[in-house]
Amino acid sequence: MYLYNEFDQTLVNERVEQFRDQTKRFLNGKLTEEQFRPLRLMNGLYIQTHAPMLRVNIPYGLLSSKQLRMFAHIAHKYDKDYGHFTTRQNIQFNWPKLEQVPDILSDLASVQMHAIQSSGNCIRNTTCDPLAGVCADEIVDPRPYCEIIRQWSTLHPEFSYLPRKFKIAVSGSPKDRAATEVHDIGLHVKKDTEGNIGFEVLVGGGLGRTPVIGQTIANFIAEADLLSYLEAILRTYNRFGRRDNKYKARIKILVRETGLDIFKEQVETEWALLRGKKLTLSKQAIERVKDHFNPLSYDNTNDNALEKHLNTSGVFRQWVKQNTTSHKQAGYRIVFLSLKAPNTPPGDVTDLQMNHIADLADTYSFGELRTTHDQNLALTDVKSSDLYALWQQLEKHQLATPNIGTITDMICCPGLDFCSLANASSIDIAQGITDRFKDSAIDTGKISLKMSGCMNGCGHHSIGEIGILGVDKKGEQWYQLTLGGSDSHQSKLGDRLGKAIAKEHVVDAIDDIIHIYKLNRNDGEDFANTLERIGLQPFKDKVYDAH
Amino acid sequence: MTLIKNNSVSGDAWHHHIAEQGLPTNHDIVSLAYWLENKTTLIKSGLILGLLVDGNEDFETIEGELTHFSLIAINFPTFADGRGYSLAKSLREKSNYAHEIRAVGDILPDQALYLTRVGFDALELPTKEHAGLALDKLSEYSVFYQPEIA
Ligand code: SF4
Repeated sequence: MYLYNEFDQTLVNERVEQFRDQTKRFLNGKLTEEQFRPLRLMNGLYIQTHAPMLRVNIPYGLLSSKQLRMFAHIAHKYDKDYGHFTTRQNIQFNWPKLEQVPDILSDLASVQMHAIQSSGNCIRNTTCDPLAGVCADEIVDPRPYCEIIRQWSTLHPEFSYLPRKFKIAVSGSPKDRAATEVHDIGLHVKKDTEGNIGFEVLVGGGLGRTPVIGQTIANFIAEADLLSYLEAILRTYNRFGRRDNKYKARIKILVRETGLDIFKEQVETEWALLRGKKLTLSKQAIERVKDHFNPLSYDNTNDNALEKHLNTSGVFRQWVKQNTTSHKQAGYRIVFLSLKAPNTPPGDVTDLQMNHIADLADTYSFGELRTTHDQNLALTDVKSSDLYALWQQLEKHQLATPNIGTITDMICCPGLDFCSLANASSIDIAQGITDRFKDSAIDTGKISLKMSGCMNGCGHHSIGEIGILGVDKKGEQWYQLTLGGSDSHQSKLGDRLGKAIAKEHVVDAIDDIIHIYKLNRNDGEDFANTLERIGLQPFKDKVYDAH
Repeated sequence: MTLIKNNSVSGDAWHHHIAEQGLPTNHDIVSLAYWLENKTTLIKSGLILGLLVDGNEDFETIEGELTHFSLIAINFPTFADGRGYSLAKSLREKSNYAHEIRAVGDILPDQALYLTRVGFDALELPTKEHAGLALDKLSEYSVFYQPEIA
């Protein structure tokens, strides 16, 4: 993985000292709340319902065991012994004290981590395919490009006071595991017919109040031109993006109001001046970063031992089927650690679990792990002969719930319990759904359920095959359901099922939906396909007749 | 008002022109509206002038006027409005504007470094204290990922 050189480390250390000073001035009354706000946000610090929340970047989702141990240490020392993994390859700490945040940042810097630009109206953490470098279908490993973008966007002097936040995601496989189509910029790494590397660039996607699928603005931008092209888009957005209404300030609104063609012209005018100049990436510069992402030294091995283990335990078999997937290297598997165990809020991990996971990563997976877009973790390079031993360990620490990709593996934002913007709670609904389906989830099959506590859509409800959105009705918590959203291959927004549903009926309504699906599905047909075949109506009838 | 010029506190040879007080004199900074209204007279006068524009002003409009001015002041209506950064950078890199570009309005000492990184060589801070702090902030970083301004 990428290791900081002296330059990177100096920058992060200087950032910590800068924020230490800013925090001190704020606490001494020398900075107003309004002036301090963007400064703390650009260091990942929100003020939430109960306490500040600190969001830390996990660049493109890649973590070393050492870094995970530092998260455990932070959770224990400064927080309530747990952390929360988000959908955008961040970890959030919900209970730090403001005056301790500089120390937390300093601890993070000691393991090459930071919270720079993890919130605020600036370029956020660049995310990527959690299976980059190990999945069999990959065209090009996107991580070196993510690192290049991370560096370019970090403390970018021109783009730190944008109209609104700005998110970039990169994928290097035909299957999109990074939700690139719902990002401000989505990049697909490609090769042209001569084998040159470049990017298809999508622009103006996003979730939130006005969910939009990104559109292709350029089919192939050569890798050398990546940064100049990004700079051209960002400058166009910075100049013309709306600032009169924060709900219309994202680039998706600018692209829609300007029209993609004119927007593209504006970008290309900027690009003409930037292209071929200082931002051009030389072959050597790219190679230098790529050197950090060389393939790991895999053993020559096979699946013989695994075959034997599979015959010994049905529970193990089920876990292998549900929570592991194929690796590009023979004899290796990718293992997902479910952070959706019954009785824990989705994405939450305790400090003890983090320490255990770090040890397991060291023992079984080259000391590295990934965070996924579905709020789970992955050990991506496990020998299949080690799976049985690993599984036993994971079982012990409540990390082997065999529910990856099922209805209980839902994405869920913190909702009313933590977030001051929420209309409704999400954690207790998640709990209710888990309780209802924990025994039937595997039989129910692959379903993405996503839930947000308000229109801002941090839980990506609009691209869930089942989406749940908390709404406020005269001070009461109600929930709007959508069906048929998707975030892989061709992203798609879900359709509204009907009017919002009262809190006490939500789990029953989900049950009804699953009932209709099971009643109608053909052999082996998954939820999305059944829905497409039979349409919304049967689901509507069942849900609304019943309530 | 305290001026920082080329990374140190400096006296100010320039004045902000107030339209109600009559015609400008040498080293006055006039607003874009005033300039456009009185362009012919002002050109004829041969005065050395500066131009004050808002950060959101159309780059193309300003570009055509640049040759008449020895200073461009870019106003920040609020510190959170980042358009002035792109404008300054465009003036330097697209138009190769070589004279002073000054940041005025709602700018915070904490923004001093980013402002100078995009091409501002002068910053107007509200007080001496602010200016002192801004100077400290200019040396907070010794390394940058982005290239220097052209
Ligand atoms: S979706 Fe709404 S409630 Fe949930 S975390 Fe985001 S802002 Fe808060």
